[in-house]
Amino acid sequence: MPSYTAPLTDMRFVLHEVLKIQNYANIPGFADATPDTIDAILEGGAQIMQEVMQPLNQIGDREGCKWNNGEVTTPAGFKEAYKAYCEGGWPGLTADPEYGGQGLPHVIGIALSEMMCSANLAFGMYPGLSHGAYEALHAYGTPEQKAMYLPKLVSGEWTGTMNLTEPHCGTDLGLMRTKAEPQADGSYKITGTKIFISAGEHDLAPNIIHLVLAKIPGGPPGIKGVSLFVVPKFLVNADGSLGARNGVSCGSLEHKMGIHGNATAVLNYDGATGWLVGEPHKGMRAMFVMMNAARLGVGIQGLGIAEVAYQNAATYAKDRLQMRSISGTKFPDKPADPIIVHPDIRRMLLSIRAFAEGGRALGLWAGLMVDLARKHPDDEQKKINDDMLALLMPVVKAYFTDYGYESATMAQQVLGGHGYIAEWGMEQFVRDARITMIYEGANGVQALDLVGRKMPEGFGRLLRRFFHLVSGYIQDNMMDPDIGREFVQPLAKAFARLQTATGFIAEASLKNPDEAGAASMDYLRIFALTAIAFMWAQMAKTAAEKIKSGGGVAGKDFYETKIAVGRFFVDRMLPDTASHLAKLQAGAKSMMALDAANF
Amino acid sequence: MAEIKKVAVIGAGVMGAAIAAHVANAGIPCVLLDIVPKDAKNRNAFAEGAVEKMLKTKPAPFMHAKNARLITTGNLEDHLNLLADVDWICEAIIENPAIKRDLYQKLEGVRKPGSIVTSNTSTIPLATLLEGLPDSFARDFGITHFFNPPRYMRLFELVKGPQTRDDAIAALAHFGDVVLGKEVVRCKDTPGFIANRIGIYWSYVAMSLAFKHGLTVEETDALVGKPMGIPKTGIFGLGDLTGIDLAPHVNASMLRLLPATDAFPQAFEPEGKLVRLIGKMIEGGYTGRKGKGGFYRARGKEVLDLETGEYRPKQKAALDSVNASRKGLRALVEHGDKGGKYSWDLLSRVLSYAASLIPEISDDILSVDRAMKTGYAWKFGPFEQIDQLGTRWFADRLRAEGRPVPRIVDVADGRPLYKEEGEKAYYLTLSGDYAEIPVADDAWSLADKKRGKARIAGNRGASIWDIGDGVACLEFHTKMNAIDADILNMVKEAANLHKKGYKALVIGHDGDNFSVGANVGIALFQANVAMWPVLEGGIAEGQNIYKALKYSPFPVVAAVAGMALGGGCEITLHCDAVQAHAESYMGLVEVGVGVLPGWGGCKEMITRHVLNKKRPGGPMPPLATVFEMISTAKVSTSAAEAREMLFLRETDAITMNRRRVLADAKARALAMVEGYQPPKPVELNLAGASGKAALDIAVEGFALQGKATKHDVVVSGAVARVLTGGDKDITEVTTEDDLYALEREGFMSLIRTNATLDRIEHMLTTGKPLRN
Ligand SMILES: Cc1cc2nc3c(=O)[nH]c(=O)nc-3n(C[C@H](O)[C@H](O)[C@H](O)COP(=O)(O)OP(=O)(O)OC[C@H]3O[C@@H](n4cnc5c(N)ncnc54)[C@H](O)[C@@H]3O)c2cc1C
Repeated sequence: MPSYTAPLTDMRFVLHEVLKIQNYANIPGFADATPDTIDAILEGGAQIMQEVMQPLNQIGDREGCKWNNGEVTTPAGFKEAYKAYCEGGWPGLTADPEYGGQGLPHVIGIALSEMMCSANLAFGMYPGLSHGAYEALHAYGTPEQKAMYLPKLVSGEWTGTMNLTEPHCGTDLGLMRTKAEPQADGSYKITGTKIFISAGEHDLAPNIIHLVLAKIPGGPPGIKGVSLFVVPKFLVNADGSLGARNGVSCGSLEHKMGIHGNATAVLNYDGATGWLVGEPHKGMRAMFVMMNAARLGVGIQGLGIAEVAYQNAATYAKDRLQMRSISGTKFPDKPADPIIVHPDIRRMLLSIRAFAEGGRALGLWAGLMVDLARKHPDDEQKKINDDMLALLMPVVKAYFTDYGYESATMAQQVLGGHGYIAEWGMEQFVRDARITMIYEGANGVQALDLVGRKMPEGFGRLLRRFFHLVSGYIQDNMMDPDIGREFVQPLAKAFARLQTATGFIAEASLKNPDEAGAASMDYLRIFALTAIAFMWAQMAKTAAEKIKSGGGVAGKDFYETKIAVGRFFVDRMLPDTASHLAKLQAGAKSMMALDAANF
Repeated sequence: MAEIKKVAVIGAGVMGAAIAAHVANAGIPCVLLDIVPKDAKNRNAFAEGAVEKMLKTKPAPFMHAKNARLITTGNLEDHLNLLADVDWICEAIIENPAIKRDLYQKLEGVRKPGSIVTSNTSTIPLATLLEGLPDSFARDFGITHFFNPPRYMRLFELVKGPQTRDDAIAALAHFGDVVLGKEVVRCKDTPGFIANRIGIYWSYVAMSLAFKHGLTVEETDALVGKPMGIPKTGIFGLGDLTGIDLAPHVNASMLRLLPATDAFPQAFEPEGKLVRLIGKMIEGGYTGRKGKGGFYRARGKEVLDLETGEYRPKQKAALDSVNASRKGLRALVEHGDKGGKYSWDLLSRVLSYAASLIPEISDDILSVDRAMKTGYAWKFGPFEQIDQLGTRWFADRLRAEGRPVPRIVDVADGRPLYKEEGEKAYYLTLSGDYAEIPVADDAWSLADKKRGKARIAGNRGASIWDIGDGVACLEFHTKMNAIDADILNMVKEAANLHKKGYKALVIGHDGDNFSVGANVGIALFQANVAMWPVLEGGIAEGQNIYKALKYSPFPVVAAVAGMALGGGCEITLHCDAVQAHAESYMGLVEVGVGVLPGWGGCKEMITRHVLNKKRPGGPMPPLATVFEMISTAKVSTSAAEAREMLFLRETDAITMNRRRVLADAKARALAMVEGYQPPKPVELNLAGASGKAALDIAVEGFALQGKATKHDVVVSGAVARVLTGGDKDITEVTTEDDLYALEREGFMSLIRTNATLDRIEHMLTTGKPLRN
């Protein structure tokens, strides 16, 4: 059975020493988040994740959710676990205090999310989607809607869902058919079928608040005519009590590769009563508001899987005795050396770890950007952070989930045949990780978003936020005695490749738009590797300082290990930027040459 | 042919006064007389008041305020003697034949023998004006019809009477063309001459058909705008601009003069919705922009609903036919929506009408097209539009609808009305033969020189042409002629043309604007992704290319017209001479996008002002002047102003007629060939740190008063550093290369700031400067 220990020291290192979030006391919510408070929250979170959520992970996978005549039963223990989660106040950790939340920084929420995803991804999606619904209503709901739904979503009494997908439309929401007909009382009657709705039906909470995209007849065609509606499973009376069952029902559950503990529902809307959220036909705008935070959340899922898979693979590698080290026996008293001595095992373990630690820093930094983009008192700073977040989100979502999955299979590989056997839990990580690459915008579409939308925006304004930062950092630290040669110079090389790739795409796509699409995934990876290298440089610098000054969140050993892992990233992962650049510069030609009929 | 050296305008109304102003713009002294106001204290009040008012009018009738001094004001009772030495008297008084004839009688006694008299009447036939006047007067009399505003509208209709002396007409034609810079179109003595005959009909039909086809004001203007090659005001917007109250008058006079069989009286509905609506508007004071509003009000935010006659918020027109029109005029009129139907209804009438007036108003189609293009600012004349539709297609469709086919279209029999063959261009005549479009040696467009030839060199942004006599012409053709890498490459190539045996180079083209500046889109992207060496390399490259142009061993003349801004201005500063159209708007506007002139603009301007012999002494005055000019992005509103700012030197010349700029530039270049020496590099002693401190204090003062923004202070500081020679002090010598280096340094320091990049982005996305 796999185990999980939350990487609290590493989280504290990033939060307190690299990002130094104590310096943001001027931002609402941060003043309360003293280092001690944060540590206490992280420890409390670690406890419930390790003790309550993680033990349910395999059970949830084995049992799955059960559909019976429209009712759905979650796996054994989920209900109790959800109750404990709500009683601990976890659903409202970062939510608005006006609606009962604790108003803590989003960046802290990211750390908690990571733990949840490591411990039990399928379970985590129930509160995860509630948070999505909370965000949409918080940003665009009327005061009445907010008063009616937000407190219960924040407390966890009710859960939420996001309904976008339909049988014939996933990426291309302009093809949507679900319709919303206006009623005399200002409500709408929603009719249509939504599929793949996570947490769409379950027994964890007495009411489910569905946020549904649908088209008002007579509106503009395509994506410009999509509106957002709130549709509760049970209508809510004026006093907040539950009223009649609404016309939405769960037609079935999907049988699927992973996240069995989460109900993936087909929802049939049959004249269900809904209310408009935001302006008519502006549903996508409301979606975009929460999209950045949601994509970050899915990126963190990839990270969480990588971390837990790493932990179990590393433990196994230290125990499992097979073969001798090729450089000479290391444990003569044992019948064979533990496989951790073999370079290729180390390659896999270090790849996962270097990604997980670098990704954690990047993910938390992005979490901080969410806070700054929303709450910074200076509008200019708000905009800068919003730009940067918009730029980084496709990168984080796609790279973290691609590499999260890659990490899971590498960890599985470390276990050899046992990795393929259910009991060890590794194959579940592989299966669970796979969905993260698909939902919340398939990764190919993220790459397209990066080159097609984010890159040209404002003639490269979003790029500026990141590029100027990195360029300035390189300039300032190129000669740094601790990190200059080992970290900053390689970062500079990767960054130059990123610039070259950017220029190439900007120019090539003017002549042939397919060039941008063809380059997109390689570009995204160069971007991600550069961003992670940027985080590693900062982490290495901090670690070097702590080694010299003493003190810090952990002992010298931690900081030395940190630098060592960082070296692996720089030496063995960052050079991928060169091959991605070469592929990208080869252009779209060979990719587009084949006629569709020849496939 | 007697040369016109002095002019008088009688009648100081809007038109007369502005004609006088434009005569003054040409450097010609002008007498301006009007009647004595009733019970006046100041007997010259009308003429004097008009001049004073014009000094405040926008767009300005004067190209330079000092031109007002060339006008001598007076009244018709005390100052008729002022006419004694005048060569041309232009009458622009009230449109009343009797009053005009009275005036002419008076003039007969005072005017100099052989002087010319013309009327600026728009509608009164020449014969009527001459009733009762002696032959001696008739021989000296013609009609010269300007368009409002005379400084800016290029058309000058010239009507010869049966008795008018040929040399008088020739003198007027020459004066109108060369001195006043107008497009002279000879007209017959028919109602409304050419432009108004067609234009008044067009305007009425365009508006009234909107009612018939159920179009809104916005929809109509979206159609009668870019799709039809009309300025973007459209037809209703144009009405607001010229004044709604004008319409009943011009319509009435045309209706009075035209036979009942003419298409205008045929189309005119005295009780129609349009006429009633306009009547109601005038009654309510809604006379257009000068009144409480017109078809639009509240700065275009509200629009008159044609059905209800009430104002409502403006709605963006969404007509498929407008989009379709991008594929051409025919796609527009063939479109099935109401916009397409309206467009055909309108164009078929207007084009037929224009075509049916050959030969009544003009023997040739060329004059008609020129008149409409320069008098009504149509992008294409009616006959060019018929060619766009195709004469065959046009004739067939008219026939299919049972409508008459105008003779010239019938004669064309499917052939185009215009054609080009070899190096010549032709137009079709009523005889069925083509006649050559003459190109004068001293007035041509680049298109005339390009016809039938291959360029010497070129790329997407620029081309080089052989314009004869060993002179080459470098033409820009990017969007708005913004300078980009393509243009720079061609400038580089052009600077070396002497190696191919060329004697001189002209830089110029037929475009509206010489160049609006450097294309900053690419620079912005490069700056956003922190490609600093590439950016700095780009600046250095531009400097090197402009420098090579300046020191190339043959004369280079820039033929400037319209806007020459930023990098476009800087290239002219590196030429041996500039031949500028009178309407040249020059300036170093880089600070608007948060950078400084980096291609030698700072260098050239400080050099010119320091070396200016007429300037006051000491290092500060020239510095302060250039600093103010650059740091506030001052743009000249005419070539005359550009000269005062030293964008043009004393040796540079001004051409009044746009069609003569290139020819004049070429002549100027050829005149410089003999004994040509490239300029000598100069060295300056600049004000240094103390000078910069003084400028900084001034800027901080502006910031405190709220006149300069935070980033203005930063940008100005960078400009000041360049202009004062950087770290050098006044005892040290600053070379041209030092100044280039300072410009690069200053440019790079600014382009790295967020505030500058925000400015560039804002300019590119909104077209307006960001004040941050
Ligand atoms: C377990 C699970 C849970 C889900 N939960 C939810 C949920 O809670 N709510 C919800 O609304 N939806 C949910 N979804 C749906 C999910 O978001 C969609 O499956 C996803 O958006 C992809 O849509 P699609 O399946 O229709 O694929 P398609 O849109 O058909 O895409 C197929 C492939 O084509 C690629 N592609 C499409 N267009 C382009 C392009 N222009 N350029 C390059 N590549 C392109 C995509 O990247 C993808 O690889 C869930 C799905 C699953 C499997």
